[in-house]
Amino acid sequence: MSCGNPVADADALMQRRKKYDKTKNCVKCKVAEGNLVIRHAVYCKDCFLHLIVHKFRRALEPTINPKPDGPRRTTLKPAGNLLIGFSGGLGSSVLLDLIHRCYIALDKSTMPADGGRDHPRHERVWKKVTVCYVEVCDAFPGMQDKTHQITEYLKRYDELHFVCLRIQDAFDRSWWEKIGGQRFSANLGVTLPDEALFIQSLSSSADSLDSLRTYLSALPTPTAVTTSIQTFTRLLLLHTALQSGSSHLVLGTSLTSLAVSLIAGVSQGAGFNIREETQEEWTPEPEALGPTLVPLAETESNEDRKKSRQGKRTVRVVRPLRDIGMKECAAWAWWSGVTVVGKEKWGWAGAKPGIGTLTKDFIVGLEKDYPSTVSTIVRTCGKLAPKGEVSGTCILCGRPAQRGVQEWKARISIRSRPPPADATDKPEEPAELLRPSLTPYLCYACHTTLTSKSARPVPSPWPAASQSPVVSLPVWTEARLASTKGGDGTEHMHGEVMQTRRVGEEEMKGIVNEFLLDSS
Amino acid sequence: MSTISLKIEFGGGLELLFSNQRSHRISIPALVPASSGSSSTQQKGEGDDAQPTKPADLSYLIFWLRDNLLKERAELFVENGTVRPGVLVLVNDTDWELEGEGDYQLKDGDEIVFISTLHGG
Repeated sequence: MSCGNPVADADALMQRRKKYDKTKNCVKCKVAEGNLVIRHAVYCKDCFLHLIVHKFRRALEPTINPKPDGPRRTTLKPAGNLLIGFSGGLGSSVLLDLIHRCYIALDKSTMPADGGRDHPRHERVWKKVTVCYVEVCDAFPGMQDKTHQITEYLKRYDELHFVCLRIQDAFDRSWWEKIGGQRFSANLGVTLPDEALFIQSLSSSADSLDSLRTYLSALPTPTAVTTSIQTFTRLLLLHTALQSGSSHLVLGTSLTSLAVSLIAGVSQGAGFNIREETQEEWTPEPEALGPTLVPLAETESNEDRKKSRQGKRTVRVVRPLRDIGMKECAAWAWWSGVTVVGKEKWGWAGAKPGIGTLTKDFIVGLEKDYPSTVSTIVRTCGKLAPKGEVSGTCILCGRPAQRGVQEWKARISIRSRPPPADATDKPEEPAELLRPSLTPYLCYACHTTLTSKSARPVPSPWPAASQSPVVSLPVWTEARLASTKGGDGTEHMHGEVMQTRRVGEEEMKGIVNEFLLDSS
Repeated sequence: MSTISLKIEFGGGLELLFSNQRSHRISIPALVPASSGSSSTQQKGEGDDAQPTKPADLSYLIFWLRDNLLKERAELFVENGTVRPGVLVLVNDTDWELEGEGDYQLKDGDEIVFISTLHGG
């Protein structure tokens, strides 16, 4: 009789579940012994390396032509150039390496076997490839500036253009005008500490670094700081794509990182844009574009130039590593000799981890014990189609905004109002009611980011930064506000004007009088 | 042979925790205490001279590295008795998941690589 004690009885201990299915031989070639396990499937080194290139091409190439391919595969002819968003992290290093091998160096080992020597695939797909790096160290105290390291790192890849930005460029008018943004003279800010987010004129303009730090210090939570930096980085990349004539912006988001951003996004109220998290088409608001935005090819005629300026420019954001997990990226990097400069963790003294950090810890832990779950998350999110009408684009993040957001928020919120100063039912001053606010211009997620407060006091990343009640806005936001009709922001972007006011008892009675039953 | 020579490599930023050195050559005992859990110095006070031993395995190596080579931030390398989630381990160019993970018995001349996927995104 077994006592169940593993020391006495070897069979008492349950056998550990194998991390791979069937045999240790490669599931693809069935000949070589496996070198790597990916979601329970075993691959040898050679088959793995080919698989990664295949997955990368499969995720990117169908998105290259402006219109999706029909039943027959056509030549790859993008509408413009390619911009690679590079962070120095694992994903973007692998992405850069794959782009260079497949489209610049034309590494034969990455070419598919079919097609033959003269197959159009062997020609240059992208006329110009630019790499853009956004240095974020100035947003976080004590973070190392990696600009020099990144610049040196990129020298190993030839035929690449390099653009280096800093996160504070989001508040830099000279950067905005340099890339062709609409010039504006207004100096508008927002009362960020106030939930009402009133738009106000700024008495003076601070430099971009001060503006960035003041903005971050006025945010209500550490989650809001991380999300804001990510939003600014995205918009900086999108505008750089426009300026470099790029029709495509590629990012090194792996399957694991995508699962993290999908779950973290939904947690912060960005469910309406869940599809954009994987792939999106971004078109800048016309009033934000200056006349010289598009640098055009010299061969284009005057007719074409006029057309290009007037026509809609779109940037397609693609994540070609979205089917490739973090573990696969690491294995590719190791076996292909790709060194990774790395990214530092975002944080500051006393700050608790935000939603993004907590989600990443959860997903990374999940991937270790239940690797298939991570791909299930991405697959399931890919099946979601949010309900609701689109009503313009958010003035902060540039993504489609859902109609009726503020109405819904007002319905579900429990708010306590301070009692009126005196007993008389004096109506509020009209000027106060129509005071312009940023709220109607924001999507649900951005409004939540700016107004959702923590129950506990949150240490500011920059305690020495100005504690002004009015903070500067990113330049693309200010440009759109300044171009709004009337210039005072009272006309709602989405065609709705909402105002609330206390209604006196007499006025209320007047409205419902005809419906009241006689008391007799 | 009473000791095993191994080549250890760190990648993906893990080298920063190990004196910023990617490659290390080390020697560890061929036989180690069988009860080794969290510490290599654990002893069972049973009054018995012959302590149960086992061939050195990857679990032992991980703790040996933590106790002898790691210079800082042990929590970035080890968690819950094994490597932290997000660290890929290759044994002679092969995923340790194919070799039994922590139970893989080390041989003289083995090359073990630890790659972090977390110092970047």
